[in-house]
Amino acid sequence: MIGPKLVGKNDVALVPMTLEHFKLHGPWMLQPEVGRFWGPRFGDVSPESAEKRYKEFADSKTSFNWSIAYKDEPVGFTGIFDIDWVRRDGESGIFIGRHDLYGRGIASEAIRLRTDFAWRELRLHRVHNWIAHANRGSRRANEKAGYTQMGLFRRSFFRSGEWYDEWLGEAYPHTFPDQH
Amino acid sequence: MALGGTIRGKKTTLRLPIEADLDAYNRWVADMRVRRAHRVWHEPAMPATWKERFNEIAKDKQNVLWSIEAEGRLVGFALGHLWTMGNGFDVNHLVIDPDEWRKGYGFDAALALHRYVFDYLDLRLVTFELRADNAAALKIVTKLGHTEFAHGHEVDYRDGAYVDEIKLRMDKETWQERWSAEREYPPLAADATR
Repeated sequence: MIGPKLVGKNDVALVPMTLEHFKLHGPWMLQPEVGRFWGPRFGDVSPESAEKRYKEFADSKTSFNWSIAYKDEPVGFTGIFDIDWVRRDGESGIFIGRHDLYGRGIASEAIRLRTDFAWRELRLHRVHNWIAHANRGSRRANEKAGYTQMGLFRRSFFRSGEWYDEWLGEAYPHTFPDQH
Repeated sequence: MALGGTIRGKKTTLRLPIEADLDAYNRWVADMRVRRAHRVWHEPAMPATWKERFNEIAKDKQNVLWSIEAEGRLVGFALGHLWTMGNGFDVNHLVIDPDEWRKGYGFDAALALHRYVFDYLDLRLVTFELRADNAAALKIVTKLGHTEFAHGHEVDYRDGAYVDEIKLRMDKETWQERWSAEREYPPLAADATR
């Protein structure tokens, strides 16, 4: 499914993902700055593939997908995936494609909006994720929205001469900061 | 594409699944004993739906399905996921017919599957996700050499309550320390490459 528009603070909003937005995903993910903590930096980035994947996202009954807008421009994507409607659990993810905008709190606000939606609109019980342990910015952004560490997957991937661990987080309605 | 071939254990054999196995798969995922212990691969369904699922998994490039036999009978199935980058393997389902529990089939099939992953495919690690109250499965993977790397709280829902989930992993180094005598093939003869 495509998520509804959620307006946040500091010019950040989650907006319904469009095909035009999604076509930016391929070029963004091939940038070394964006791919430091995930991805192989290759893949099928053809327009046909983007259209097919977009349709899969839109048709999915087990995911919610948004574009992240900053000052009304698409700058990344976020979503909740593989939602199990019995367990009421899903896996969350975020991707800021515009690396020139890192450090402005865009991810923190996007995660706050997404997590609030999970509790207040979807009535989920839990969301969880995997984040590169060295990606402090992403980890902190998730912690601010109530994610806590449930584990550490050591030596997950090897890059530039070092092993990278992954931080496993989980969040619940009762861990979300009360902002209402 | 991703139906598994023969892997021989001492009591069990993982072998190529066939359509005739699907009726038993359906019966197992409908059995509440199985459902209390594990997440199910698919919900119970009509034979035609199972055939579609079978055709899909056969074409899947990352997921591998095996049927498990013991004493000439079908006693279970295993389903694993090969990581996209090809160096790890998640065992997503290892189901033994509940009428065949406590005969050592689960451990034997798991050991054979690990031997295949480490000694044949040369992968780096294997992972499991198990319900925290599934003592039998936890005993099997701990005996193999798995260690916990994450503990999810209130992850699965069954029998009117949530249950925690334990994530475990076993690395190739552990396999080599504990199970170095387990090999897919005997050592090459001294003159094999002459």
